Amino acid sequence: MAVQLGYTKIYRDPLGYPAWEQAGLPGARTPYGLCNDTPGGPPSCLPSGWALLGTFLGIFAGGLALNLTPCVYPLIPITVSYFGGHSGESRGRLAGHGLCYLTGLAVTNSALGVAAALTGGLLGGLLQNPWVLLAVALVLVLFAASLWGMWELRLPGGLTRMAVKSYAGYFGSLFMGLTLGVVAAPCIGPFILGLLTWVASQGSAWLGFFTFFTLSLGLGLPLFVLAIFSGSLDKLPRSGEWLLWVRKLMGWVLMGMAAYFLRPLLPEAGWVALMAGGALAAGIHLALWGRTPATFRPFGWLKGFTWLGALTAAFLVVGFFALRGPGVAWQPYSEALVAQARESRKPVIIDFYATWCTPCRELEDITFHHPQVVKQAAQDFITIKIDLTRKGDAQAEALLQKYQVKGVPTIVFLDREGKELKDLRLVDYLPPDQFLGRLAAVTKSP
Amino acid sequence: MGIKKAILLSLVSVVLAGGMLWYHHRPLAPPAQATWEDVTGEAQRGGYRLITTEELGRLYQKDPQGLLLVDTRQEWEYRSGHIKDAVNFPLEPGWWGRRRAKSPLAKLLGPDKDRLAVFY
Repeated sequence: MAVQLGYTKIYRDPLGYPAWEQAGLPGARTPYGLCNDTPGGPPSCLPSGWALLGTFLGIFAGGLALNLTPCVYPLIPITVSYFGGHSGESRGRLAGHGLCYLTGLAVTNSALGVAAALTGGLLGGLLQNPWVLLAVALVLVLFAASLWGMWELRLPGGLTRMAVKSYAGYFGSLFMGLTLGVVAAPCIGPFILGLLTWVASQGSAWLGFFTFFTLSLGLGLPLFVLAIFSGSLDKLPRSGEWLLWVRKLMGWVLMGMAAYFLRPLLPEAGWVALMAGGALAAGIHLALWGRTPATFRPFGWLKGFTWLGALTAAFLVVGFFALRGPGVAWQPYSEALVAQARESRKPVIIDFYATWCTPCRELEDITFHHPQVVKQAAQDFITIKIDLTRKGDAQAEALLQKYQVKGVPTIVFLDREGKELKDLRLVDYLPPDQFLGRLAAVTKSP
Repeated sequence: MGIKKAILLSLVSVVLAGGMLWYHHRPLAPPAQATWEDVTGEAQRGGYRLITTEELGRLYQKDPQGLLLVDTRQEWEYRSGHIKDAVNFPLEPGWWGRRRAKSPLAKLLGPDKDRLAVFY
């Protein structure tokens, strides 16, 4: 099938570029990091004019989408309780306060962008520091407990008073935003790793600042709306079975986030037990706990679905773990190993990865544990893994230069002569069946 | 939620999880390489003609301006090497990809319906 547009002289070259290149016909390439081919001009990927505006609109939309992650949950009750105190004021003044609050949040979050721009890839490593992970997880658990009503989340009285007194009025709201940004910033880190890497590769502190400022404006927009209306929110009925249930659910989502942060710290089996136990506990708490009869039909259905989902997730986690065979046997890089592969005319797979990169983990967990991939790799390939989690390893740096690796994951295939098969290079997750296709293409090459 | 309903849903979840596990662990056949017959059949159905590398090379060397080369591979493939002067127009397989490609492709090809264009 093809797209039908009524053109008469349409051809297809089924052999494509590889055959063209082999025939020695003229080709061109655009290496990563270069956005234009103009000779002499500085290599620049920075969009300008309307394109720049479009980019920032996209980033703003991305910030809005971040509201789907639970990072903003802890900010919701605080926002309501802070702005509830301003309820006597006019809409206009409230909007002003909300704007200051939003700006404060955005400025704090932008520190993340500036840090990324100035430190290069280091921030990814910092987000992986065990103590940072543990602290973030702990805070998330505390917030979950608060959502379940185990303790009341209130701003320390001193902080509120200080904010109101020493920086009266709008400055108070700005100060609140500045302080509370600290809650959200480390939490959104893992969700925007791609953006962090982009900012880091551009290396401009201003770009980093404005990128994250825009992102945070998107992130904070719903909070801004909440701030304006939190006064009238007080008049709404406070609780009710339904609202309590939603709070319970939000608590469990936060617990899930905490488990996600703990993953690199725990052994595989411990993490599986934690996840399965957590899913089961969530199911019981959300669906079976409490004997209040469902007041309206959809609520009963919702509980049913929750039970089904939680139980299925628990079974899946345990099932995958139990059925998982051995993975691909990776070896550390050495020149001798590559030379040996060339001598025995075996192709090589080199996997550049970092523990904080999600597609790398997916590749490892799913593709590199698929029995057929494991078998094929053991049979015909030399498999090498290079860990880029920490920067500064001289050998790794040299390899990054040699293979022109721009990010993780990158999977490089070397043919039997030790030359890279560039058109097979992989820079993203690939499911096992397609990966087998690439392996077949490598073994077929002379 | 009643005990009966809870048990019933638990059984459903066992079946669901079992099904997903089976699906994930099913044996895979590596994707088959397309034969020349497949390619010609596809061309006939799609209403376009095929061109060999040599022929295309001759055309290209004779008059590179009178020929529009469209690289339909993904952007990263295009970056790692492409025919000189070719434009990148990543096409996604499947009907949705074709449908979405329709109007930008018409724009790329221009109003001249007799224009010579080669896709690869």
